[in-house]
Amino acid sequence: MLAIEVENLRKEFRVQQNREGLKGAFRDLFKRRYNHVTAVENINFQIPKGEICGYIGENGAGKSTTIKMLTGILVPTSGKVVVNGYVPFQEREKYVKEIGVVFGQRSQLWWDIAVIESFQLLRKVYRVPEQDFKKRMDELVERLHLQEVLHRPVRKLSLGQRMRCELAASLLHNPSIVFLDEPTIGLDIVVKTEIRQFLKEMNKKYETTILLTTHDLQDIEALCSRVVMLDEGKIIYDGDLEQLKQRWGKGKEIVFHFAEAVNMQTLQQLTQGMEVKWQQDHPYEAKVWVPFEQENVSEVMRSVVSELNINDMKIIETNTDDIVREIYKSGSAETAGENHHA
Amino acid sequence: MYYATIFWDYTKTYMKTRMTYRADFIIEVLTNLAFQLMNLLFIIVVFQHTSFLGGWSREEIIFIYGYFMLPYGVFMTFFNLWDFTERYIVKGEMDRILTRPAYNLVQLMLENMNPSSLFGSLTGMLIMGYAWLQLDVTLQWYDPFVLLLFVAGSVMVYGGIYISITALSFFSDAPTGIHALMWNIQNYGRYPVNIYNKVIRFVLTWILPFAFVGIYPSAFFLDKEVTTLFSFLTPVVGLAFLTMGILIWNFGVRKYRGAGS
Amino acid sequence: MLSAYVDMIRIRFLMMLAYRVNYFSGIIIYTLNIGAYYFLWKAIYGGNDTLAGFTVLQMTTYIAISWMARAFYFNNLDREIANEIKDGSVAVQMIRPYQYLIVKMMQGLGEGLFRLLLFSAPGMIIITFLFPIQLPTDVMTWAIFMVMIFFSFLINSQINIMVGLFAFFVENNEGLMRMKRVAVDLFSGLIIPLSFFPLWAESILRWLPFQAITFLPASVFTGRVTGQQVYDALLTQVVWFIVLILPIVFIWRKSRQRLFVQGG
Repeated sequence: MLAIEVENLRKEFRVQQNREGLKGAFRDLFKRRYNHVTAVENINFQIPKGEICGYIGENGAGKSTTIKMLTGILVPTSGKVVVNGYVPFQEREKYVKEIGVVFGQRSQLWWDIAVIESFQLLRKVYRVPEQDFKKRMDELVERLHLQEVLHRPVRKLSLGQRMRCELAASLLHNPSIVFLDEPTIGLDIVVKTEIRQFLKEMNKKYETTILLTTHDLQDIEALCSRVVMLDEGKIIYDGDLEQLKQRWGKGKEIVFHFAEAVNMQTLQQLTQGMEVKWQQDHPYEAKVWVPFEQENVSEVMRSVVSELNINDMKIIETNTDDIVREIYKSGSAETAGENHHA
Repeated sequence: MYYATIFWDYTKTYMKTRMTYRADFIIEVLTNLAFQLMNLLFIIVVFQHTSFLGGWSREEIIFIYGYFMLPYGVFMTFFNLWDFTERYIVKGEMDRILTRPAYNLVQLMLENMNPSSLFGSLTGMLIMGYAWLQLDVTLQWYDPFVLLLFVAGSVMVYGGIYISITALSFFSDAPTGIHALMWNIQNYGRYPVNIYNKVIRFVLTWILPFAFVGIYPSAFFLDKEVTTLFSFLTPVVGLAFLTMGILIWNFGVRKYRGAGS
Repeated sequence: MLSAYVDMIRIRFLMMLAYRVNYFSGIIIYTLNIGAYYFLWKAIYGGNDTLAGFTVLQMTTYIAISWMARAFYFNNLDREIANEIKDGSVAVQMIRPYQYLIVKMMQGLGEGLFRLLLFSAPGMIIITFLFPIQLPTDVMTWAIFMVMIFFSFLINSQINIMVGLFAFFVENNEGLMRMKRVAVDLFSGLIIPLSFFPLWAESILRWLPFQAITFLPASVFTGRVTGQQVYDALLTQVVWFIVLILPIVFIWRKSRQRLFVQGG
C-alpha cells in the first residue's frame, strides 16, 4: 500500500521584484513587477507504507515546500498529491489527524505551561480517547525519557529535552505518517542518537511511515533505507542509500593510531607503488585514502601493520556528505555517475 | 461539542499561563479600563460646550458608549490577533496551526484568547445602567433579550470586519499597519449618523459598519423611532459580515505561502 | 557614522514605499478621519459661531492640519522596541556599533518623511477641495510650523521610546502602549483642542508634554497664536525635548543593566 503518492507536483511562487533606488520604489508603488519562481518542479515519487525516507537537498532546493504541500499547509500550483488516501489541502482538518509533524525550528508546545499540560491540550485537539492517550503516554515517556521534564514549563527545558517533547507531542495520536523537518538540528550527538534510535523502533513497531528532511547525513545513514535528493526543485536521485554509496563512493579511508611516532616518509615508503594518499596531522596518527578501483584495502592494511606497531585502526566508508557534495557539484546524480565511470 | 471542549481546555491553559504573570494581569485589566474611560472623557468634555449632538443628549451618547463596550469586550476576548502578520505569517507559526485537526481560525482565536477584556463589557453594563437611570425611558420585558441579540450581532460585525482585514496578511507580503489606521474609525459609529454626510454615513453603515456596534442597536433602547429598522438589521448585517470575513479568510489560507523556503 | 544614520532614514523610506496596501488604504482612512471629525465638530458647534475661542473655520483647519501633522509624527517605535525586547533581538542590536535608540529614531524619521511627502502633502490638497479650510498665507508661519512638527516628531518618539523600553521591566506592556496611544491622541489636542477642556484640566494639560505634539503647532498654523507667542510655543517644545532626554537616559541605563544581568 502506498502512503504517499506524488505526481507531477509543482509549486510556483510569485515574488515581487523591487526596482532599484528611490525612483524605482515610486514606480513600484503604482505598478508592481513579479517574478515567478518555481520552488518545486514537477516531481514524482511514491513512498510505500512503513518506509523511512530521507528527503535531502541544499537550502532552497524545495524540501520544505514539498513537505508543506504534503502536510496540507500549501496548495500546489499543479499536480497530484495523495497521502493516506487524502488530498491534503482539500480535507486538511480530517487528514492531519492521521499525521504527525515536527518542525525542528519551531515549537508546538505552550511556552509557559508544563509539558504535560500541553500534551493534555493536544489530546483534546486530536480527540484521543483518555485510555489510548494514557497507554501512548506511558510508552513515549519511557522511550524518550520524559519522566523528569513532564512537569516543567517548556521555557525551562534544554533544546534536547524540548526536542524530545516535540517528538512526543507529534506522536500522541499515533499517526501513521510522520513528517520531520530537520528533527535533529542543533542537538548534541547523544540526543541525536537517542532520537534516531527511537524513530527506528517506532517504525518497526507501528509500521509508521517517516519522511524526514535533514542536513545531517548521519540521520539519513542511521535511519533511511531510501533517499530522495532534490536540487533546484527537481529530484536528482531517488533510491537506495547503499546504491548511492556504491555508485558514487570513490573509496575508503583507513585511520591508524600508532604506538610510536611515525613520519610521513616512512608511511609513503610502505605503500610504494600503490595509488593511495596519506595525510598526517599528528605523529601518532595518520589517514590513508584508498580509491575503490585502484587498490585493495586489506593490501594496504597488511603492508602497514606488518612494519609498524599500531594501537588502533578504523576503516571509514565514504562519507555520504562527500558523495552528496560531489553530486551537487556536478548538478545531477546521473552525470555524476557517468563522470565517475568514465 | 468538540469546539466547546477545546474551548474549555484552552481557557484552562490561559488561566494557568496567567497565573505565572499575575501582576501583569492586574496591570492589563486596569490599563484596559483606563483606556476605555478616556473615550468617555471626550464625550464629557464635548458636552461642556453643547447640550445636544445631532439631537441626542449627553446621557444618550453615554448610553451608546456603554452599549458599545459590551460587544467590544466580547470581541476583544476572542479576537486578539493584532500581531498576526508578524507572529503567524512572518515567523511561520501558521504552519503549526494548519497541521492540527481543528478549524484554523478557531485555533487562532483560542490560542490568543484574552478573557480579561470582559471586564470592559462589565464596565459597559455599568455605564449603560448609569445612563439609563438618568434617562426617562422604560425598560420593556423583552429588552434584555433584544440586547443579547444585538450584542451578538455587533460582535459578529466586529469579527467580520477584523477577520477580513487580518486576512489581508495572506495576500500582502508586507506587515499591514491597517489595524492601527482603522483604530479611529470604530469610534465614529458611536455618534448619531445623521450628523455625517452621505459618504461617511454610507461607509459606517455598509462598508465598515461600525454604526451597528453603536448608534443603530442602542437607539432601539432609547426609543428613538427613526432607526428601529436599522436596529433590527444589526444581527443581519453581523451575520453577513461574519460570513464574508470567514470566506475571505478561507480564501486567504489557500494563498498562504509559508515562511522561509 | 552620520552617513550610516542617514542611510537608515533612506532605507525605512524605501521600505514604506514597498507597503502598497498601507499607502493607499492610509490615504483613504486619513481622509475619512478628517471628514468624520469635521462633521462631528460641525454637530458640536450646532448653531454657534465660536466655541472656546475657535471659529468654525479655525476648527476645521485645526482638525485637518492636526491629522496631517499626525501622519508625520506618528510611529510605532514603542511596539517595535517592545517586540525586539521580547524576542531578544535587542541584545544583538546593542552590541552593534551604533546607538540603538538613535537608530530607532532615524527609522521613525524615515517613516515620517515618507508620510509627510507622499501622504500629508497630497492629502492636504485633497482636503482643501473637500472641506472649507484656511491655510496660512505667510511663508514664515509655514516655516515655523515645519520646525514645530519636527519637534512634535521628536517628542512623540521620545514618549514612544520610553513606553517601549518598559517591556524590559514588565512582561506585558500592551495595556501601557494602548493607554499611551489614547493619551497622545486625547491630551495632545488631536481629538479635542486643549482650550475645550475645563479650565482646571487645561491647566494640568499645559504642564504635560502632550500638548507640544499637536496643540502647539496646530495653534500656530491656524493663526490662533501670533507674534511673540509663536516663539513661546516653539520654546516650550524645545524645553520638553530636552527635559524628556533625562528619563530616557535613566531608563536606558537601567535597561542595559537588566539586560546584562538577565542575559537577554
